[in-house]
Amino acid sequence: MRCERCGKELTNRIIKINGVTYCDNCARLMGYDRFLRDPADMLGNPFAPLDQIASSLMQMSELDFGNSTLTCPKCGMTLREFENEGRVGCIECYNTFNNNIVREMFKQQGNSEYLGRLPVSSADTEAKNSDVERIQKPLSPKPVIEKTESDTDDKAEPAKPEQQKKAETGAAANHASGGLTIDKLKKADLGMLSDEDLEKGIKTAAEAEEYILASKLRDELKGRKEGGLNG
Amino acid sequence: MADWYVKEGKDSDVVLSTKACIVRNVKGYNFMPRLDDADCQSLLETIDGAVDKNVFEGGQASKMDKDTVMRLIRLQVLGREGNQMAGPERKAFYYNEDASLAVCVGSGEHITVRASAAGHDISVYKKAEKLAVDLESKLDIAYSDSYGFLTSNVRLAGTGLKILYTVALPAISKTEGGIAALTQRVGQYEWSIYPFAERGELSDSNVYIIACVNTLGVTEDDVLKRGEMLIADVIKAERACREEIATSKKDQSEDIYGRSYGTLRYCALISRAEAIGALGWLRLYHDYDDAGEIKLSWNTLNKITMDVLWEPGTPPRKSGTNTLAASQRMRSDGIRKILKGEE
Repeated sequence: MRCERCGKELTNRIIKINGVTYCDNCARLMGYDRFLRDPADMLGNPFAPLDQIASSLMQMSELDFGNSTLTCPKCGMTLREFENEGRVGCIECYNTFNNNIVREMFKQQGNSEYLGRLPVSSADTEAKNSDVERIQKPLSPKPVIEKTESDTDDKAEPAKPEQQKKAETGAAANHASGGLTIDKLKKADLGMLSDEDLEKGIKTAAEAEEYILASKLRDELKGRKEGGLNG
Repeated sequence: MADWYVKEGKDSDVVLSTKACIVRNVKGYNFMPRLDDADCQSLLETIDGAVDKNVFEGGQASKMDKDTVMRLIRLQVLGREGNQMAGPERKAFYYNEDASLAVCVGSGEHITVRASAAGHDISVYKKAEKLAVDLESKLDIAYSDSYGFLTSNVRLAGTGLKILYTVALPAISKTEGGIAALTQRVGQYEWSIYPFAERGELSDSNVYIIACVNTLGVTEDDVLKRGEMLIADVIKAERACREEIATSKKDQSEDIYGRSYGTLRYCALISRAEAIGALGWLRLYHDYDDAGEIKLSWNTLNKITMDVLWEPGTPPRKSGTNTLAASQRMRSDGIRKILKGEE
């Protein structure tokens, strides 16, 4: 699960306020410090929970009423309609509901950064059936049904020298970057890695063509940087 | 020219089809949900002017006759229930000779470019991209540096690209926990898997669609590479499960294989669910049939599967006829005819 504000993966605890999931850092930044307090802190004030409930209710209604009145000046779509339908009415809606759209994008995809091609230009793609087949063999994770893996291996084409080379490159990357192996990175609690380790890890993962791992590490690093800027 | 889905495809024992869809919107017009009828007509005319008529036929949906609509459903240009034909005066469909390339106007977004190919064939992306680039050069497309291509559905904003593999997984479906494990694996690639039909007759069809999720934070190349790695895993797992079932339960598998063929070849009435179930068994045991008495190519198997899956609605109701029986008879006649031809 990810924080719906910054997109960072939630590692420690989940803070849900008004139906929105926040990480510790964002909850603090949004002024929801009281949700982060330890129950023991409240023992000093026996009425603290009541105060908390009352102020939360006030804040919830404030937020709801504020949001529902937001309307796109061009097409007349309201925020409520956008939230119900998941669709916007025009290009201007992207400016009007910017924060909510970014939040929706983080919720769905864990990212809101555009990395695709420009209009009227071709994407730089390498994926062709024959190439991909060559790439896949050493990279494919374990098959879904492990007990039958050996059965299919017999049927698979014999490894070509290029495949072996790729596999060796992957293995080399596995042991590179000062002990940060792909396996270790996969198992690591990303929150415990330093920024430097994350940067090295991204490089290692990219070299080993572990793109999903690389994107997770990049998101973690980006989340930290953005958190730092906001803070 | 033969329709795209009856052509030979790679890995067609598992992958029925590969599709690439790219959505775009034209600047200066509201998105479809907020587009009034007058502006919609203007949009349809603008896009019509940008579509190359030397390559594409078709046009406004309201002017299409019933036979064309049925053909477009069968060729998967229109949704299988034909529900894209709702509000035909606000929609247009263009398609090339074998319908492997299509432009849908007004179906969710202003423009949906779709390239389709039989079996496992990622070259569909380049075909779709080429057409999308051509339209982008002729039209003023909604684009922002921050979000990429802007869409009404914010889940598509960014690349606006969806890659979809339609896969037949009879063996994984029959393996305990197989689909759950596969769903987990697909999620690790940040893709999604869902049944061909969520409800109705085909909800247990053992045919699934595997589709990419991310349109932001990834390049088109990332999407294609991940997809290719994922589909290779799926193919490998399905073949492994087939081998496991066909060898560990050889007698039962052989028996059901023969019975399934017999049902399809000689029955007079058949439901879609029964047909897909029988086709699943033919698919599962096809490569392990030592006797070789049943002559059936993967191409034929896939054509029948596609025909049943993308079957246009039931025939028109006539007084005194049983609609359900009529549609079942029509289906079984069609299957018998194809299988007889194969013999």
